[in-house]
Amino acid sequence: MRSLLWSWLTLLSHYRRHPSQTLFLLLGLITGVALWSAVHIINAHARASYAEADQLLDAQASHWIQAPNGRVALSDYVALRRAGFRQVYPVLELRLSTLDNQPLTLIATDLMAMSASRTSPTQEQSNSRVDMRAWSQLSQPPYAVWVPASLANSLPLQAGQRLTLRDGRQLPPAVTDSQPRQGQRLFMDIGAAAITLGETHLSYLAVGAIDPAELKRLDQWLNQYAPQLKRRSNQQPLDLTELTASLHIHLNAMSLLAFAVGLFIVFNAVRFALHSRASTLTTLRELGVSARTLTSAIVLEGFTLSLIGTALGLAAGFGLSQLLLPAVAATLQHLYGAVLDQRLLLQPQVLLQAWLLTSVGLLMALVWPLWQRSRQGVLAQRQGVDVLQQEQRSQRRLAISAAVLLAIALLSYPWLNSLAHGFALLAALLFAGAWLLPWLASQCLHWLSQNAKPGLAQWCWAEGQVQLGPLRPALMAMLLALTANFGVDNLVGSFRQALDNWLQQRIAADVYVQSEQLDAHQLSQYAWLLDSHERNGLRLRWQGRPTLIRGLDPSAPDVQQLPMASQSYPQGGAAWPDDGILANEQVQHLAGKQLGDVIYLPLGNGEQQRFTLAGFYYDYGNPYFQFYLPYQRVAQLWPNAQPQGLALWLDEDANMTEVEQALVEAGAQPGDWIDRRAILQLSLRIFDRTFAMTAAINTLTFAVAGIALLAALLAIHQQRLPHYAHWRAMGVSWREWLQLTAVPLALCLMLTWVLSIPLGSALAWLLIHDINVLSFGWTMPLQWQGRPALLLALLCLGVTAIAFAIAALQVRQRLPYALKQLGADE
Amino acid sequence: MKQWFCSVPVLALLLWAGPGYGQQANDVYQVLRDGDGAAQFAPVVPGYTLDFPQDHGPHPDFRIEWWYLTANLEGANGQHYGVHFTLFRQALFAQQQGLEHASPWASGQSWMAHAAISQGDKHLYEERFARGGIGQAGVQSQPVFDAWLDDWQWLGDGPSPLPGQLTLSIQGQPLTLQLSSNKPWVLHGEQGFSQKSEQGQASYYYSQPSINIVGQWQPRTGDSVALTGQGWLDREWSSQPLAENQSGWDWFSLQLADGHKLMAFRLRHSDTEQHYYSGSWITPEHKVTPLNSDDIQLTPTGFDVIDTAQGEKRIPTGWQLSLPTLKRQWQIKARSANAWLDTLFPYWEGPVQVFDNKQAVGVGYLEMTGY
Amino acid sequence: MLHINQLNKSFDQPDGKVSVLQQASLQLEAGQSAALLGESGSGKSTLLHLIAGLDRADGGEIWLQQQPLHQFSDEQFNQLRRTQLSLIFQQYHLVPTLSVFDNLSLQARLTGNLDDDFRQHLIATLGLGPLLKRLPQQLSGGQQQRVAIARSLLHRPALVLADEPTGNLDENTSQQVMQLLSQLVRDNGSSLLMVTHSPAMAAYCDHSWRLQHGRLEAELSA
Ligand SMILES: Nc1ncnc2c1ncn2[C@@H]1O[C@H](COP(=O)(O)OP(=O)(O)OP(=O)(O)O)[C@@H](O)[C@H]1O
Ligand SMILES: [Mg+2]
Repeated sequence: MRSLLWSWLTLLSHYRRHPSQTLFLLLGLITGVALWSAVHIINAHARASYAEADQLLDAQASHWIQAPNGRVALSDYVALRRAGFRQVYPVLELRLSTLDNQPLTLIATDLMAMSASRTSPTQEQSNSRVDMRAWSQLSQPPYAVWVPASLANSLPLQAGQRLTLRDGRQLPPAVTDSQPRQGQRLFMDIGAAAITLGETHLSYLAVGAIDPAELKRLDQWLNQYAPQLKRRSNQQPLDLTELTASLHIHLNAMSLLAFAVGLFIVFNAVRFALHSRASTLTTLRELGVSARTLTSAIVLEGFTLSLIGTALGLAAGFGLSQLLLPAVAATLQHLYGAVLDQRLLLQPQVLLQAWLLTSVGLLMALVWPLWQRSRQGVLAQRQGVDVLQQEQRSQRRLAISAAVLLAIALLSYPWLNSLAHGFALLAALLFAGAWLLPWLASQCLHWLSQNAKPGLAQWCWAEGQVQLGPLRPALMAMLLALTANFGVDNLVGSFRQALDNWLQQRIAADVYVQSEQLDAHQLSQYAWLLDSHERNGLRLRWQGRPTLIRGLDPSAPDVQQLPMASQSYPQGGAAWPDDGILANEQVQHLAGKQLGDVIYLPLGNGEQQRFTLAGFYYDYGNPYFQFYLPYQRVAQLWPNAQPQGLALWLDEDANMTEVEQALVEAGAQPGDWIDRRAILQLSLRIFDRTFAMTAAINTLTFAVAGIALLAALLAIHQQRLPHYAHWRAMGVSWREWLQLTAVPLALCLMLTWVLSIPLGSALAWLLIHDINVLSFGWTMPLQWQGRPALLLALLCLGVTAIAFAIAALQVRQRLPYALKQLGADE
Repeated sequence: MKQWFCSVPVLALLLWAGPGYGQQANDVYQVLRDGDGAAQFAPVVPGYTLDFPQDHGPHPDFRIEWWYLTANLEGANGQHYGVHFTLFRQALFAQQQGLEHASPWASGQSWMAHAAISQGDKHLYEERFARGGIGQAGVQSQPVFDAWLDDWQWLGDGPSPLPGQLTLSIQGQPLTLQLSSNKPWVLHGEQGFSQKSEQGQASYYYSQPSINIVGQWQPRTGDSVALTGQGWLDREWSSQPLAENQSGWDWFSLQLADGHKLMAFRLRHSDTEQHYYSGSWITPEHKVTPLNSDDIQLTPTGFDVIDTAQGEKRIPTGWQLSLPTLKRQWQIKARSANAWLDTLFPYWEGPVQVFDNKQAVGVGYLEMTGY
Repeated sequence: MLHINQLNKSFDQPDGKVSVLQQASLQLEAGQSAALLGESGSGKSTLLHLIAGLDRADGGEIWLQQQPLHQFSDEQFNQLRRTQLSLIFQQYHLVPTLSVFDNLSLQARLTGNLDDDFRQHLIATLGLGPLLKRLPQQLSGGQQQRVAIARSLLHRPALVLADEPTGNLDENTSQQVMQLLSQLVRDNGSSLLMVTHSPAMAAYCDHSWRLQHGRLEAELSA
């Protein structure tokens, strides 16, 4: 025990004497843990939020009462309350967009009515941010809108400012504050919202905790007095968990990648720290410390480091998650309607997991060199081993492992049918690439030195071989970062392109109107109206998922050009097949249905209607199943189907103000319509927001790789300093030194970059063709883009140049001292 | 002035969400004293002639108003029951002319209601809130009197609340009361102008102290109970009822066996022992003699310690009430100390018995706030 | 106290098997010091390594204080090196990241046999007082060797093995260091077996042995 303690302390003294090594080791650990834990915290937080989706703001919402047209009359609500249903409270939920087409959601309720349904009347929210003035502001003219701080920042919107909407209406002055579970939504008092936005109806009613007898009475009441209103139980917690599962796996995978990159730094640092202490280790052996005690001391050191790294990493990760949360919250809200709370919690299991993860990573880095040492006698340890030969051996071993990994990946590919398998393949691909890299670089350097003129050039490539060893982990980290960036850039680019093309086809009409009061026939008198398309629809559950049914006019221009993935009937005016139904791709990929399959959909009366799948259309970004049928058929099968909007095709020189005026005359209200350009912009906005998190993690991964490189270079130079001193003594000039060290480095990084292009492309291909289909259920063509590769090359060059410059400066500073030591050292 | 003023219900929610409940509860009272805020509402001035049935309805230009019923009832089972029901109205902001028709949501009115029943040491109560304008709560006197909040309702047979029917459910247990009276309305103070302080704070205040009640109570467990007895309705509205130094009040409504009725209250001053007293001595024919600080003496004679959400409180549940000018004196005892309402604005409200030299000579209700 | 009987050791080299020790024998009594002389490559270091258990002999016996070292396990040798033996090297083998003070205390700490008075005595005698806070790389060769000597004696070993302790030092310093070493060993009651090329250094010892052609022969003291 005593010898363990003193061995451990003796080993640790290294970190005190070499603060920069300590710094990099911890930096690697911290960044890795931080990125991983940030995503993990957000994921856990999101899942916890879904579990709370049986609440609206802070109140229970076990059921919803909805009207098929999405508008509940105020009188029905009041009648319910006066019939004694005090669990019922009114909600107004509106989708708004700003002047520059930023999508926003507004939620409003009557806090007075809701009071009975509040889950936590007195406890919770102990540090209430609510002050009296804010409250009276909410309910008294000129009213107020509560904007969560992160949303206010992104808009940007200052406290007291009024947000102008796309249709020119203005919201009340903003207050930077939020309700519990408000998420990234705006919050207003329902009265204030109804007045400022001219809403005469409620969006839906929420039902708080209710006992079975009351629920039965409620159903009877609705049946008798308001048959158009339907109650359904709040299945959001379940639905959200299922719908968002893929997204969270994606996020997790990315965070693990970031963690892996962080581990490369740690790997490098740990190996280097071990290497620089070789003589200390031998001395301790000579002093009678057993090999086992020494190994224990090193493992203990690993645990100590992982403990410190985890603690600091988690702290950083927690901070980072606060920064990333708004982006993820926005994605979840826009894609799935999931509301994420603003406050984050750190769960103990995250702590434990992070610590285990880093410990395993550290041990992985330590096991091999320790095992090697333990096989050597004490005497042999003093005699320098042939580092170069050893390095070449491990390069070969890595390359062989890479080949095996690739082979396994390729062989298992035909059986790919689960997300986990998909990500395992991705990981295999990435690591195979990383492991192949050192061997490739070595072969390249070898070939160059064989073919170089004897002299400086040859020396240069030989020096490259020497540096390759310590540089190896950094190069691999850089390859991972480059590959991930390039792959995801391609994925996002392809997706954006596909979405754009699809939207251009799909959003073909010039104006879209969503209004209940609109009399569509009144518009037909205008000459500028070329064509129109009215749709109806409803929402139901099929295969346990929320499913949308839409009725459309098969002869409408946009249906004629519906972008189809596959179909069994001729498009373009042909008669709709008898019991045929069109489904979105999601039905094919997520529900596993094929063309010609028979499916059954539930009708309102509880019966099932039989359909044959006649085609699959592209439907990007839709988390739900969706089916298309002719308008009449929907109306006939589901009498409760409601209008789902009207598309208008306008004459080329139609005057928009004239059109808007006509719409108003036909009964629509300002804000009821949106033109094509705005809707396209809105869609792409949502898309961009969705990928904001991806971009952020990728950038951070790159930063981590940069740190790895810097750490490696500093280590190499420190190790090689005596050699450099020798060179200096031999008369090698500073410029020649630069050439000797920079050129092979540049070559290695160029090789890394070159390798990242096929790897990144393969990654993107795998993501698009398999993982995306498995997780979201839609397909798209891969649009290979060269521009990101060039950008990455520049970025890589920049990062390398900076790291090299810092390392070179350090050499310059230390060289004189090294020269003095030259004579003294062994 | 009885009661217990409704304060901003929105504020209520704020308080639920906030810390330091008790501390801020004092601020709530501030609304009742807030002279600046009162300026935008109609003032209470002497000389106004009350007009029925018009004045049974709401007075939205005034800041606060209430309809307040208390009743001492006897069950067919021989037990005594005390019941009280209040509907409070408060204007959050002065209504802009014409805007109330723009949208039902534009109303500045808010409503709060309390219902409570006590029997022996049992005490049940419930509290509700609603915003005005949308029809969830309100009061009207035409074509018939109707006062409601959710499914609580007082519906008159005609434009007057009496005769009428009150339908409640307290914690899910239904209570219905048929109310009627053949006596004239009683106007307090100067023809309904009731002063609350030397500085001029005042309200309009009238009552019906002689209401005959028959009703039905259906407790959650057990048989339903037929009820009969006497009730007392108070109507009051104002814009600034409390002076700056008034911290709470003790209010009595007594129905004596000889047919006389007495309303008396004191507003306790935080800075002096000189409290503000007022009241009405009412003959069986409803002739009224106004009483002032010289006519009324109130002395607590017994206390109970009650557990409340804000901790233990020492509440006077026994009183000596003297009217020296009328040479009358009674001992008043709460039927049970358990009549505390831990509502947003906590207060004590419960049935009392009136004794004259140990002889029971009447019943009544006592309300105490600010303890 | 140290008895070496008929020790054999050979190494595999690219040019064939090289026999370094052939039936080498040696005796050293408690409290005595002996110099080990011999040509470069004759096997002096090898002999020390065998005694310390850093390498294993092909045959023969080594007895230290009646313990059969030739039968010792690795673990027993670890224990032996920690408590009864100490090694002094030509290259000092100090821990570069520990201060002088920590370096000289290291072995005694590992052993748990730290005598503070004795440490003060060693520090004073070896003149290390002003250097205690320095790192090894901030010391001269002689200073470093003095630290190594202090480290090797602080836990009071029975036998000190020194491999050319003054090999890196100049004449004057060598004399100084040698004087201190032999004196401290004597005061401490330890035995000393020291490899040296220098007869001048050998003169500080009670006996001299010469290693030649794998055999050890006692030399008459000069
Ligand atoms: N690990 C080894 N493997 C092979 N040969 C070895 C090994 N160690 C020593 N030798 C050989 O054994 C012989 C004795 O070496 P040793 O180091 O003991 O000599 P020495 O007497 O200490 O020489 P010097 O005075 O130069 O230090 C040499 O010929 C050397 O080459
Ligand atoms: Mg030697």
